[in-house]
Order: sequence, then C-alpha cells, then structure tokens
Amino acid sequence: MKRIFNGLFYGLKFLLLIGAFGLTLFILIRMNLRLEKDIMSILPQFIPFLVLLVLFIINMILKQVGVSKNLFYNLTCCLVFTTIILVGCRAILDTNMVLNAKYGYGIDFNFFDNFLSYIKIMLYGLIIADILFMFREKEKLVEEKSKKKKKA
Amino acid sequence: MKKILLEYANMFAYTFTGLIFGLAFFLLFINFYHMQELAQTVDVSTYNETTKASIEEKIETIRNNINVYNQSTYTGSLNIYGLNTAQAKLQSCLDIIESDTMMHYLELDEIGINDSYNFVIDYKNEILNGCLVMQIKSMFNTDTISTLPNFDLVKPYIDMNVDTMLSADDYVQNNLENSDHYYFTTQANKNNFFNLVSDSYSNTMNNYLNSLDLLVEISNWYRSVVVGG
Repeated sequence: MKRIFNGLFYGLKFLLLIGAFGLTLFILIRMNLRLEKDIMSILPQFIPFLVLLVLFIINMILKQVGVSKNLFYNLTCCLVFTTIILVGCRAILDTNMVLNAKYGYGIDFNFFDNFLSYIKIMLYGLIIADILFMFREKEKLVEEKSKKKKKA
Repeated sequence: MKKILLEYANMFAYTFTGLIFGLAFFLLFINFYHMQELAQTVDVSTYNETTKASIEEKIETIRNNINVYNQSTYTGSLNIYGLNTAQAKLQSCLDIIESDTMMHYLELDEIGINDSYNFVIDYKNEILNGCLVMQIKSMFNTDTISTLPNFDLVKPYIDMNVDTMLSADDYVQNNLENSDHYYFTTQANKNNFFNLVSDSYSNTMNNYLNSLDLLVEISNWYRSVVVGG
C-alpha cells in the first residue's frame, strides 16, 4: 500500500511541479507585461522551481531511494505544488475577486502577489529537505557497503 | 561524530518537510475557506422592497417640486434663466436616479460581494459625481442661480452636505477591495467579513437615501422660490 501511494505521489510531483511552474510563469509574465518591465526581472522568482527540478532529476538519475521513496517528502511536494496551482487558478478564475473585476486584467495580481513569499518559503524548504535527505542516502550506502565488506 | 551529524541532518530534513507540510496544508484549506467566504450571498429582498418604496416616494416629491415651474406660463419676477437652469439640473439628477444603472440594484433579491462593490462604484459615479458634483454643486456656482431668493442660506448647507457625502463611502470601498487580500482568519475577521456584503450594501443604500433627501430639500427650496416669486 505504502509503495503504491509513494509511486503515485512520486509521479504526481513531477506533473504538479511542471503545472505550478507553468502557471506561475504565465501569471508573472502577464504581470510584467502590464507593468512594462523587463521579462528578465522575473527570473529570480523561478530559481527555486528550477533548482527543485534539477534536484528531482538528480534523485531520479542517481536512484536516491532516501528521497524518491520517502512517502512523507513526496506527499509534501504534491501538497505544495497543489497549493501553488490552486492559488494561480483562483487568481485567474475566481470571479468573486473584487479587484480582478475592477482592473479587468483577467488575473488578480494583488491576490497572487500575497502568496509569492509563501511560495518561495515552501519551495526553498523543499530544496533544503531534499539536500538533507540526499546526505542520509549517501551515508546509508556507505554503511551497506561496509557491512557487505565485513560479511565477505 | 560524522554519524551524529548525519542523524541531525536527517532530523532537520524531516523537520523542514513537516513545517512545509503544515504551511502548505494550511494555505490549501484556507484558500478553499476564503473562496467560500467570497461566494457568500445575502438575501436583501425585504430590505430592497421597503427601500424601493422610500426612493420612489422621494423621486415623486422631487418631480412634483420641479414641475411647479413652467417657463411658458411663469409670470413671476425672478430670473427665468436661473429657474430654467435649476430645473434642468434637478431634472438631470432625476434621470440619473431613475436610470437602469441605479434602479436595477433595487430589483435584486440576493447580493454577493461583487454586487455590493458595484453598487458602491455606481453610487459614487452616478449619484455623487454625476448628480451632486456635476449638477448640484455646479448649479450653485452659476451667476443666474445666485440671484434667486435665499441662495446665500442654501449654498453653504448644500456645499457642506455634498462634501460630507463625497467621502462617506470611501471606507466601504476600501474594505471591499481589501477582501481580496489573503489574511489569517481570526474570529473578528470572520465576523467582519460575513457582515461585509450586507453592511456595505446597506451603508451605501443609506448614503444613497441621504443624497436623495438632500435633493428633496433642494427641490423644496426650488418650489418655494418659484411659488414665492
């Protein structure tokens, strides 16, 4: 059961990461176009997304079981990306947003802007946790190797 | 030593994940809650029925008062340009009050936060700017009107009331606009929000009625000027 859930969340976290990244990219580009600001200025907002994607790919390539088979971590990743997607969708689709209707941009930038700091906190937290779980994995492998050597 | 450090790393990793899990869980469900709060509607059918009757009564009074004057049959000694201007300006206000934009709010049985907000905006645009500032304030700044009896007594009263009304609805608009912003809901916030839709609506409606009362007073003054002159 645990393996099934883990597999499900493991696959979902990639899809949700791409979805959350795409939605955030769309909203921030629209926000910058409205403000007539340089598109390059939004790049720092995407650093945590890219770092996390790179870490996920490293976990996958190096088959780091400590991260990829960690149900709690995978579940947290899914929850974080779902929250980002929900916030993005609300900023675009929630017609009860007063400022959304007032400014008529189709996106409630004020609402989304309130969440940007939370998004960063959550993403950087996941990055730190991922890196720390990686250390644990490395240690486990070393221990297993030394045990095998002893047996031999 | 290395093992202890790695154990600590593992512990911190779980701590970080736990904290992020808590934050994400909180933000996800508070968003659903906030979404429901914004979708809340309030029944105003009874309130609108009584208000509509009151507004229609005031409209009728204003209409009767301004129809007292007819240029072709007027035989008094007062400046007819002044009387014509006042009648035209009051008639413009009457047209605004009776416009579909303002009247359709009285037909609503249920209102949401957007209706409440649109009502504030329309009231400010149509009644405050379109009528009280563009018609009434400008009317009392024309030379022809200044020749009419009791002008000096009426003008300060009108100016003071219009100035008060212009800013009376600002905080309602600000409150409604702030409802979009995410906040950590407390019981006080919750109570405040649940009353926000209906309170904003009734507050704007009260201001609207006050504006109509002012127009009734002006039309009464106009009637007394025409009949007296």
